[in-house]
Amino acid sequence: MKDAMTPPRRDRTPILTKTILALLFLLGAAVIVMGCTGMKEYSASGFSSEAAYRAIYKLGGEVDAAWDKKLGPQCKALDAESRAALDETAYTLLRSAWEAQKKGSGAELDALLDGKEGEARAELVHRLLFTSSLVSGPKVGTANRKELAAIPASGLDGFRRQLLEAVTDEGAALPEAAGKLAGKLTGQERQAMLMQIWYVSNDSMNSRITEQVNTLKKTVRDKGAQLDAFRMAARGEVSFIWQLVVSNSRSAVLIGILLCLDAVLLTLLMLGERTWIPDFKWIIILVIVDFLLLFQLMPLVYMLIKAFFPDSAFSLETFRRLYTYSLNLDALKNTLIAASATMVLGTLTAFPLAWLVGRTNLYGRRFFRALFVLTYMVPPYVGAMAWLRLLNPNVGTVNQWLRVLFHLSDAPGPLNVYTLPGMIWVLSSFYYPYAFITISRAMEKMDPSLEEASRISGASPLKTLFTVTLPMMMPSLISGALLVFVSAASCYGIPSIIGSPGRVHTVTTRIVEYVSLGQQGLNDATGMAVFLMVLAILILFISDVLLAKRQYITVSGKSVQPAIVHLRKWRVPLTVIVSLFAVVVIVIPFATILTTSFKIDVGKSMFRANNFTLSNWKTVFGRIETLNCFKNSLLYASVAATVGIVVACTMSYLLQRTRLRGRKIPDFLITLGSGTPSVVIALGLIMTMKGNFGINIYNTAYIMIIAYMIKYMMMGMRTVVSAMSQIHVSLEESSQISGASWLRTMFRVTGPLIFPSIAAGWFLIFIPSFYELSMTTLLYSSTTKTIGFQLYEYWTFTSQPMSCAMAFGILLIVVFLNFILNRLTKGEFSI
Amino acid sequence: MAAVTIKNITKAFGDNVVLKSFNETFKDGEFITLLGPSGCGKTTMLRIIAGFEKPTSGELYIDDRLVSGGKTFVPPEKRSIGMVFQSYAVWPHMNVFDNVAYPLAIRKAPKAEIRASVEKVLGVVHLSQYADRFPNQLSGGQQQRVALARALVAAPKLLLLDEPLSNLDAKLRESMRFEIKEIQRELGITVVYVTHDQTEAMAMSDRIFLINRGVVQQSGTPQEIYNTPANQFVADFLGKVDFFKGEAKDGRIVFPGMGGQSIPYGGPRTGKVEVAIRPENIFFAEDGVLTGTLEAQYYLGDVDDCRVRVGDTLVRVITNGWEYKKLANGRPVTLGVRDIMVFEDDGLLEQMLSIQT
Repeated sequence: MKDAMTPPRRDRTPILTKTILALLFLLGAAVIVMGCTGMKEYSASGFSSEAAYRAIYKLGGEVDAAWDKKLGPQCKALDAESRAALDETAYTLLRSAWEAQKKGSGAELDALLDGKEGEARAELVHRLLFTSSLVSGPKVGTANRKELAAIPASGLDGFRRQLLEAVTDEGAALPEAAGKLAGKLTGQERQAMLMQIWYVSNDSMNSRITEQVNTLKKTVRDKGAQLDAFRMAARGEVSFIWQLVVSNSRSAVLIGILLCLDAVLLTLLMLGERTWIPDFKWIIILVIVDFLLLFQLMPLVYMLIKAFFPDSAFSLETFRRLYTYSLNLDALKNTLIAASATMVLGTLTAFPLAWLVGRTNLYGRRFFRALFVLTYMVPPYVGAMAWLRLLNPNVGTVNQWLRVLFHLSDAPGPLNVYTLPGMIWVLSSFYYPYAFITISRAMEKMDPSLEEASRISGASPLKTLFTVTLPMMMPSLISGALLVFVSAASCYGIPSIIGSPGRVHTVTTRIVEYVSLGQQGLNDATGMAVFLMVLAILILFISDVLLAKRQYITVSGKSVQPAIVHLRKWRVPLTVIVSLFAVVVIVIPFATILTTSFKIDVGKSMFRANNFTLSNWKTVFGRIETLNCFKNSLLYASVAATVGIVVACTMSYLLQRTRLRGRKIPDFLITLGSGTPSVVIALGLIMTMKGNFGINIYNTAYIMIIAYMIKYMMMGMRTVVSAMSQIHVSLEESSQISGASWLRTMFRVTGPLIFPSIAAGWFLIFIPSFYELSMTTLLYSSTTKTIGFQLYEYWTFTSQPMSCAMAFGILLIVVFLNFILNRLTKGEFSI
Repeated sequence: MAAVTIKNITKAFGDNVVLKSFNETFKDGEFITLLGPSGCGKTTMLRIIAGFEKPTSGELYIDDRLVSGGKTFVPPEKRSIGMVFQSYAVWPHMNVFDNVAYPLAIRKAPKAEIRASVEKVLGVVHLSQYADRFPNQLSGGQQQRVALARALVAAPKLLLLDEPLSNLDAKLRESMRFEIKEIQRELGITVVYVTHDQTEAMAMSDRIFLINRGVVQQSGTPQEIYNTPANQFVADFLGKVDFFKGEAKDGRIVFPGMGGQSIPYGGPRTGKVEVAIRPENIFFAEDGVLTGTLEAQYYLGDVDDCRVRVGDTLVRVITNGWEYKKLANGRPVTLGVRDIMVFEDDGLLEQMLSIQT
């Protein structure tokens, strides 16, 4: 009966949640307002850095302490007459010091002192004088300071009293330590020096004060502004909160915007979900989204704005200037031609290869598959180096053979890699695996009964290939082709090694050149980058949104055994053709890298007398510099891979195991990031992460790690997502019904089941980050060079054989990691 | 119209023999069903007929033409067979018309003829108004009929169906069952139908081949294999059946498990036997041969599913639904039996009934 009496309890969660959301939004708004006020205050101050406020605040504290404990009591200890004289002298000194800083500032000082009487006025004058003397008073050298510090504690009081008396009485004898500094001075100079000695000899003049004074000197350059700083420090005008707000105003605005955005996003999510019960997972989503908004979207948006509003008004001037310059126009044309040609060549190669390797009884198909996938892992610039050695018009190995074979003259040629076709050839030979992997995945997942239905209808295998297999593959084929296009267009390694020496510029090489030209260059680079960015986003949109809808093959994780086409009499000839392809595209270039690394004269054969040496290897791997770069690469790639895989696992869980609204937002951003050309990512980070938006990580390792994560995180995520999709929920549910908690289930069931994929995902982020070149070129600093960049430097400035030794070292690492990767995933990973 | 002759066909994947010396002739115009539990080898046999699998040994003739055997192997596209796949395999990138027209287009038939044939066959499967639709706009049943139309459009001599109804819901499955049978009768073509659903097999087939572990256990008309099963597996797989251990002597079978009660037996067996009786062949009768107590009834509408304790044995009795109100639990009852199936008790029943997957 008692239960019936109790009125049903109203659930207060919705109201609480709404209140928290509102408060969150208001907090964000408040932080924005504070940040804006801070920025306004700062821009009115004339200080050269926001950090001045921090220095002023701290100095103010020191002034307080010094006055209360030392200076004030010592003044008060004087008799009334001396005190009055001292105060008067202090005022005069202060006024002339201010007038010396800025004309007319004496009046400001008087206005400041107006209405103040007696002790209050005297204290303010002394404090102001103390502050200004610290920053701009007469100098007391280190040796003299030491001498002052050597005065025994017992004699100090007497010493200071003597000093104060000497200030007002020019005739008074000076103590020995002060005599050296002020003995030859007269009038105001003498007075100022004596005051300074008085300040300095007080032991409150410790290292902390010196530090604040130094910071203040650095952050407030303008003489007039310095007076404001003196005033603010002396009067304690800067409170703790205020210094925090002003010195971090940009960060505050940024944080405030993020808080507001989060609150709005959370509200929208909850509205959409029709629930007001908070879910912890949303916080995770928001953290990831905030990270991506900050480091990925903001730079991109900023670049767009900068390109179209160069002087805060809409103008296409940047583009007009850029693209009327023939070098840039050529770069644009070259990029489009090279990328298109690579796309066509690469896809035309990849489709038959994928079919032969995936769906026929070609000899050694598994081996070939692994081999072609391996090429995907190899840094493109290594390929460029190899082909350069082979097709150099003068000393290229292939050219030398051709000349001998066809009895040509010793003139350069017949082939020349330093041309647009040369670049297309190298690009194709290194980007066809992108199409190969995309197409063969789809091909191997295709339901074989679709083709069998065609066979039973009377179509031959070849006819079936063209009427059923090919049309069904079309979406995958197109997205593979587009992937090749955008990768080739945004490649920097190959054009920089092959294109630049032959004056064949591309958009990426132009961007990197512009960046090295300072501020104007940075603006121009933005203009070029926007072109690349728009191109990439357009293609991403086509292949992820338009094509995905027409995707017939749903990669469900259901493993189907594809029907194998028997090649019969074609089996041997086709195997020979594929082998020849592998030899030309993979074996010869890699072998060239290896042999070059043992050469002294790159133009001659390794087997010629006196042309074989191990010194390249010794030199390269013996240098401390190389080892440091190696360590850097290892560290940055590991951190990027580890943080990246944590995000990837979280995202996979959200995508696969929850129906939570908003889980697609970070997924979209991560996809966008990986689709953005490397140079664009790097350029965006350079332009927004150097303090102008409250974050300053320019020239640090962080900026590189963040860049790697943005570019490569998706590969890890796709791998974990697909692994998770193959684990039926019932496996987890049965663990939970057995009494295991969510966490325990994750550790005991899901974790072990997808562990190989998590490890594979880690490597998929690690490998490209390890040898990354395009972004590193733009983001490195002298202490954060990586192995990829070091290799590039060796190639360009030091010695080609040495860089070949390094390249082969990297190749070995990549092959080894790729081997692990294959073992972990059984050859199936997504790109 | 075609006959299929299978001579001693064996198929092994590595060491795993999935089909053991299959010997049979499917006659012209027959509706043949290959029935069995999953993994029994029925689909493999079908795919051998289609030409998607090469038999390890043996020969296969369609009509009198050797299509597989020795060095001869005719690829699927040269066999003029129609086939419906379990997953329908309707091409998602072609509309209904193009899907169905495909076999004719491959044969380079004139356009007008293709149009006429496709329209005709779409009429047969009741899809005329859907010709322009794409597969993703069709229901499962409609896709299934597209697959059927495509299999029929080129007027094949032989139609193969691989569990075509298993992805449909129960009602649709039942109506499609009769539609397929109707179409087969109309066109008079030979059909080889693979299923694991005995009701489907019973409803449609002229002859059923019951397969287990790669071996044909029995073949015959539905009536034959239902009423005179060759072994316990067949008896068990088709319909419901209960097995009772007993001993045959002196014209009776004595059941030790039923407190020594017995039933008359006129058959040839003596000694230890397994008696298989279908629950619908045990009935309540005043002058019955077994006495026991009615323990439970499960009223299912059309039938009443009862449990009667006879000695230590619980006997299942399926009687007419309308008898429900006459019966009451706990009452003594007498049971009559008919159509009993008596097998030798070799102690291998469990093993025989277990299904290898």
